[in-house]
Amino acid sequence: MLEVDGLEVRYGAVPAVRNLSLSVAESEIVGLIGPNGAGKSTTLHAITGLTPAYAGDVRLDGRSILGLAPEAIARAGVALVPEGRRIFADFTVEENLRLGLAARRDGDGRGALAEAFELFPVLREFRRRSAGALSGGQQQQLAIGRALVAGPRVLLLDEPSLGLAPTVVDGVFDALVRIRERGVTIVLVEQRAQRTVALADRTEVLANGELRMTLGPKDAGDTARMVAAYLSA
Amino acid sequence: MSAPLAALDAQTIVDAIGLGAVYALMAVGIGLVFGVLRLVNFAYGQLVMVGAYTLAFTSHWPVAAGIAACFAVVVALSIVMDRVLFRPLRGQSPAVMLVATFAVAFMLQAAALLVDIRDGTIGEIAGSIASFNRAIVVGGVEVRKITIAAVIVAAVALGLLALLLARTTIGLHMRAAATDFGTARLLGVRANRVIGLAVVLSGVLAATVAVILTVQNPFVGPDFALRETIVVLVGVVVGGIDRLWTATLGGFAIGFATGVINGVLPTDKSVYLPSAVFALVILVLLVRPAGLFAWGRAAAERV
Amino acid sequence: MRRSLDALVQVLGPAALVVAVGFGATRVGRATEIYFLDALVSVAIVVALYVFIGNSGVLSFGQLSFVAVGAFAAGVTTIPLDSKTNVLPQLVPVLRDHTIGNVPSLLLGAAVGGVFAFLVGMPLMRLSGLAAGIATFAVLEITHNVLREWNKIGPGATTLSLVPETTGPLQATIGALVAIAAAFAYQRSRLGRQLRATREDPAAARGVGVNVHRQRLWSFTLSGALAGFAGGMLVHELGSITIEQVYLELTFLTLAMLVVGGVSSLWGAVVGALAVSGLNSFLIEAEQGVDVGVTLDLPTGTRLIILGGLMALVLILRPSGLTGGREFRLPGRRRLAEAG
Repeated sequence: MLEVDGLEVRYGAVPAVRNLSLSVAESEIVGLIGPNGAGKSTTLHAITGLTPAYAGDVRLDGRSILGLAPEAIARAGVALVPEGRRIFADFTVEENLRLGLAARRDGDGRGALAEAFELFPVLREFRRRSAGALSGGQQQQLAIGRALVAGPRVLLLDEPSLGLAPTVVDGVFDALVRIRERGVTIVLVEQRAQRTVALADRTEVLANGELRMTLGPKDAGDTARMVAAYLSA
Repeated sequence: MSAPLAALDAQTIVDAIGLGAVYALMAVGIGLVFGVLRLVNFAYGQLVMVGAYTLAFTSHWPVAAGIAACFAVVVALSIVMDRVLFRPLRGQSPAVMLVATFAVAFMLQAAALLVDIRDGTIGEIAGSIASFNRAIVVGGVEVRKITIAAVIVAAVALGLLALLLARTTIGLHMRAAATDFGTARLLGVRANRVIGLAVVLSGVLAATVAVILTVQNPFVGPDFALRETIVVLVGVVVGGIDRLWTATLGGFAIGFATGVINGVLPTDKSVYLPSAVFALVILVLLVRPAGLFAWGRAAAERV
Repeated sequence: MRRSLDALVQVLGPAALVVAVGFGATRVGRATEIYFLDALVSVAIVVALYVFIGNSGVLSFGQLSFVAVGAFAAGVTTIPLDSKTNVLPQLVPVLRDHTIGNVPSLLLGAAVGGVFAFLVGMPLMRLSGLAAGIATFAVLEITHNVLREWNKIGPGATTLSLVPETTGPLQATIGALVAIAAAFAYQRSRLGRQLRATREDPAAARGVGVNVHRQRLWSFTLSGALAGFAGGMLVHELGSITIEQVYLELTFLTLAMLVVGGVSSLWGAVVGALAVSGLNSFLIEAEQGVDVGVTLDLPTGTRLIILGGLMALVLILRPSGLTGGREFRLPGRRRLAEAG
């Protein structure tokens, strides 16, 4: 459904991502892990149009979305939960969610909000509060909810567990499972390798801008294999 | 012995409020464009100038038609400015944007001179609406109708704008774009729509200011509103350009302060008025570079 | 060895161009000579602007204040004694009763400009970005206001005239060369390099111990001194000066010269000054009717339109300026030349 084909992204003369090809099928959860600076965020930015690609293609349902404006890609059904969450701290929780509706193709804003509240009840509780007053975990839920109200086909998450306590991360990952059950495809970029590998249908390892190996859930307990994956840079 | 400072009387205050209102409108026009484009439009005053010239050239039309023409021309020019100038300049350094809009400002001024001087004199008279400049007397204070109109129009315009921004979807999108354009686009906010609306509103405000200023001073020349634009720009930065309401407050404050100082300072001392005002500006910027009314997370880095 | 050669080439390029213009000034008639002199004085002013703006990355609208005080200082102190009391009756005795020579007046201009810049810069160099732009603009406004009203030290709102016209081709060329040499020496020095580091990444520069405020202050002071010097050149070229001539329009013009040429290199400053000055002069002629094969006679007032439009166009199409912000290098040299 989402196809990345030979993607190359450069910062100046330096390639940050090289010849990256990745295929994601409908309702899959695909993990993308790797050390710092491997190019994971860059890949997501290229897919969503925040960063221009030097070469390659990105296709959604066979249609190329490379080079489109970020808002057009969002409206096509690709939603990103950015690194650091990037919520609007001065707006209320509800305003943040309503912002997410900008990419929604049908007009059912109310239904979308209801779904988000169902998934993350704390958002309903704090709907009139300033988003900046929320805790880190709650803000993460808001960021995900905001991406979901657009009714995306694909949900991309950039290190959602960053700065969160383990129990909170559990909650987030549980939510991802429920989101997948609603038919949303998920690409999860993470630093926490083990949990990602355990959760995802498959996990790709990215190092130095290139895909190195694929791991399955059964590899989650195999420390040696994980270390080898990271060190194969 | 020089004259003592005049007492601060009601007349001075009323006039100062009127001036502040007009400056506040201009401040919003400048602040709106800055908010979504991160661009200080030095040529903003030229929008007002063009509006004034339109009123002058349509002096023989019925008043309403002339005003409608003014709005149409100014909004059109504002849109053209965006397409031709702002769009290519997006993302450039502040120095480049400043000089480019500065260049356009001089260009438009010179163009106005060219058009104006065809009849051999510089300056046109916007005669038809000058009748609004008559005064009524309220409690011993002479209040010009146009001052009342200015304050009312400014209040209504600002109120409507506040409603638009707070209550509507497009207003929400604009606020988001002004805070974090990248993330807003990521969420589906249409950049061109938001920028287009900001540009149109900015033009509407400039046209409004043109009407008010022309009533107060029907003699229109190529440097119409040049002085005011500079002062408003300074006021906006001093108030805090990063948020719309601090920018507006800054515009109002500098207008009000100018009006008060003008009324209070004796004439032989007031030659140094600009120095006093600008020294104050420097002082404020040194103490609070993000703006007088900005607080908390100073957006000093942004600019 | 290679690096020193590159550096030498970097300064010889602009210098050679300036000398060529100076030489050209001697070959043309009196009427056209003024355009060449204008170009050279512009070079001095724009190089002064570049020393601060180009190296620090901070936009200043106020540098012409220093040109103004330099021009006034050099002008007032060189008017012949016997005419002075008639032309400037209100002058304080120390200025009224003394007169100095041509070169001392240029040095005085530099001194006055430099001191003024130092005093202004001490508080102001803490600012960046838009705040710095507005604050320096305020300095320009204050200078304009004070010089316009205070006729104890200068002509006030009237024209200062009878200043000896000592800026001919030789003085203009040497003056421009002096400015270029000073700017180049500065940007190659440790001070200059430290400042340029703050331009790229202020936080990183601070991290390695660069005192941003102090470096900006040095640069601002040097810029002020060169601007004052250029002001002296200017007043001796025109033989007169009014405060309006060193105010908004010249600020815009010189800033545009710098940005169009390329704000971050000395080569950019020189090229921009000469190119825009040349165009400006050509347009002035064209407005009066000029023969370029066919007769070109532009209506009055089109000059600023064309100038402004062309400048905006350059910035839209090539925002880094005509030189791309790079220093001069000989064609065929593969290495990307950088200043310092």
